Amino acid sequence: MKQTPEYDRIQAQMQKGVITLDGFLGDDSRKLVDIIVADTLTVHKRRTTHEAIVERMEHFKNLGLKGLGNFITLDEHFEVKVETVRGLLPSPFGGPGMYGKTNTTVHNKRLGRTITYTDLHIHFIRDHGFYEGIGSPFRLEPDALIEILEVGTEE
Amino acid sequence: MLITLLVSIAVISLISVFLSLLMVIADATIGNYGVVKITINEGIRDLEVLGGQPLLRSLQQEGIFIPSACGGRGSCGLCKVKVVEGGGEYLPTELPFISEEERAQQIRLSCQVKVKNDIAIEIPEELFYVKEFSTTVEKIRNLTHDIKEVTLRLIDPGEITIKAGQYIQFVVPEYEDLDEEVYRAYSVASPPGDATHVELEIRLVPGGICTTYVHEHLKEGDTVTINGPYGDFYLRESDAPIIFIAGGSGMAPIKSILLDMEKNANPRSAQYFFGARSKRDLFLLDEMKALESSIPNFSFVPALSEPLGEDNWEGEVGLITDVVRKNVSDAQASEAYLCGSPGMIDACIKVLTDLGVSEDRIFYDKF
Repeated sequence: MKQTPEYDRIQAQMQKGVITLDGFLGDDSRKLVDIIVADTLTVHKRRTTHEAIVERMEHFKNLGLKGLGNFITLDEHFEVKVETVRGLLPSPFGGPGMYGKTNTTVHNKRLGRTITYTDLHIHFIRDHGFYEGIGSPFRLEPDALIEILEVGTEE
Repeated sequence: MLITLLVSIAVISLISVFLSLLMVIADATIGNYGVVKITINEGIRDLEVLGGQPLLRSLQQEGIFIPSACGGRGSCGLCKVKVVEGGGEYLPTELPFISEEERAQQIRLSCQVKVKNDIAIEIPEELFYVKEFSTTVEKIRNLTHDIKEVTLRLIDPGEITIKAGQYIQFVVPEYEDLDEEVYRAYSVASPPGDATHVELEIRLVPGGICTTYVHEHLKEGDTVTINGPYGDFYLRESDAPIIFIAGGSGMAPIKSILLDMEKNANPRSAQYFFGARSKRDLFLLDEMKALESSIPNFSFVPALSEPLGEDNWEGEVGLITDVVRKNVSDAQASEAYLCGSPGMIDACIKVLTDLGVSEDRIFYDKF
């Protein structure tokens, strides 16, 4: 798919050392638009949506805040911890406002699997369907998110 | 055929040379804006600068530092100033960072506004006192498994005037994949009385540009550039009892305030609640113990939310909000100073207001 100049500019902002040391693309050499399309296809194949995934991410984050940085048990088989460190990050996609460096860690006891995501990830997925490039240390695999957070599927 | 080809090449070459010359002439004339005036805060300060540079850089060269995290690349959106006159149209690179409300107030990104003609701006007056300092790393020590204390000795200028609780910006130089310097804000942990040093407590953030630099690259003897001071988190003049609450590297500004209270023999009563997960996340316990002796009415209450068996912890256990609620019965006359994550601060504000502290007497430094 052809990428617009606007996405070229955004992809430049995602390189290593621009906003974060590791950037958001890892060693993924694909165009940004192709990364987004591929992950969107994965999500659709799982019969769900970016919105449904983000809804679960925000659900755990909002409830986990009550633990003030400690794990708390939710919905019987989830353990959730929300931690914040100093600093704010802009989005490489632009837009007013900055995102706190807040990490939400969700442990699904039934599956024995854990995933960690940030406020910036929530914005990436909700507003752009972006899960970071393959090889990025903070990439979220859509499959892993759907399974660990037990995201509902459409019938 | 060959002649036509050669003539075509010659014509194209001539046009290229002509256009190049035109660009050189244009750069030397149209791009030369001469000396222009920057009027700050209705003439409280006027600057004469060479036109053509971004406003952020022009101000920096005149010793006025606008907080910025990306070093002027237009990627952090922090260097906002009010441009009253002469700023020209908004650039597409600014718009993503400017809300409708800010646009109505003529707020601009100073790194994107080029000073091409006389310009009038408004900035907070405190920024007149911000300076850039060249420093040397005098000492680095580990406070916990992920927090380092970095002591900087000021070289030029040799002294800083700061209020206890304020912060500075640390200039991270180019390293690894970082190809331009960036700025990161850290609270100062040393007291204002030690004007020749700035002490920082820096927690490692995985993937963090500055914290990775400090934890993995910075060495004693290195040169570091900082600028500051900034911020309105400092102890207010009052006789009210004080409740301090912090967690993690939120210790830094509170420590600075306490050391200042010690130096000035401040008689105000103060309780300091410090939250950590387990014993390995606690630090400066001996220093805080010593302050309990040297500050007349001061007590330090460390609390662990998840003490490990081997910690043999006999102190307070639980979330810091629960520990505050348990130890403070009536706080109507108190002031509170908080430093930590937004979640912790929001939860503490709720507890403190429940205990009677009015919201206008709760001061905080949110991460």
